[in-house]
Amino acid sequence: MVEPSLVLYGTLYQRAMDVLQEALQETGARYALFIDRKGFVLAHKEALWAPKPPPLDSLATLVAGNAAATQALAKLLGEARFQEVVHQGEHMGLYVDEVGEAALLVLVFDENAPLGKIKLHGKRAAETLARLAEEALANPPKLNLDTQYREEAKALLDELFGN
Amino acid sequence: MSTINFANREINFKIVYYGPGLSGKTTNLKWIYSRIPEGRKGEMVSLATEDERTLFFDFLPLDLGEVKGFKTRFHLYTVPGQVFYNASRKLILRGVDGIVFVADSAPNRLRANAESMRNMRENLAEYGLKVEDIPVVLQVNKRDLPDALPVEMVQAVVDPEGRFPVFEAVATEGKGVFETLKEVSRQVLARVGST
Repeated sequence: MVEPSLVLYGTLYQRAMDVLQEALQETGARYALFIDRKGFVLAHKEALWAPKPPPLDSLATLVAGNAAATQALAKLLGEARFQEVVHQGEHMGLYVDEVGEAALLVLVFDENAPLGKIKLHGKRAAETLARLAEEALANPPKLNLDTQYREEAKALLDELFGN
Repeated sequence: MSTINFANREINFKIVYYGPGLSGKTTNLKWIYSRIPEGRKGEMVSLATEDERTLFFDFLPLDLGEVKGFKTRFHLYTVPGQVFYNASRKLILRGVDGIVFVADSAPNRLRANAESMRNMRENLAEYGLKVEDIPVVLQVNKRDLPDALPVEMVQAVVDPEGRFPVFEAVATEGKGVFETLKEVSRQVLARVGST
């Protein structure tokens, strides 16, 4: 089966942002990201006090790759999945939880955020996001792009890559 | 297959460079990274072994610009070419929108080219995809080798039906690198425009 695209639009997007905001407040994490399994950022939020975030594209790509590798590892060991992944360094940590089949929740936290809170509220947020993702997959919005898109894109390709 | 972010008005595409080990996939990305102006590219991530062989993938995000109000972005990936890294290759293909198959012109790599294409077809099949379903561009690299095989011979083993557009390249010098990327990007964008 070809993988469907997960698209958040309108109220679904706003609800996802609310979930991320609540996760930040409850856990004390710095950044919360909702990403798809392909490694693209669907929505992200940062705590008001947090410094400039790391490059989100790279973060999402590496987390998605890591999650895919973790899933493959689980299968090698006869498990259907390892649902969550936690990395903890001296000052910073990363919590990743599955959001259904198609997406992931990422929380980036520092040493002031208790891991227990991160795990507890992270899991709750992931469950809520999973329901949103199901709604989004069931009702994908139409893009309605016409041939003008193709023409404009072609001009930009010429500009970036040369004629 | 693309990932659309309506809230930020972004459309994201995933383009994967596939091919046998040492065919020049990472070199393609490095050249692109070195020539794209700041502000149009993100950070290049390479997960490589100490001798610079790709272990998991290389990653380079590129901004095309705004098209009909949507910021359009390409995420470029390479896969590890060595035979034993197939699990990684399969993972990287998830959600792919377009593929550049980088073939090696060296005579002793002809079989590796064919094996890699067969492997790509198998891995795509795991996601319910056929090569006919997505844009694929064939780049025949290392045309500067003194004993480089004729392009037609390389094409005959990886794409005997002549289905894919073919570009000759010397990726170390940047020859054919942008042309290849432009063609696969054009095809990927055309598919979105037609839906």
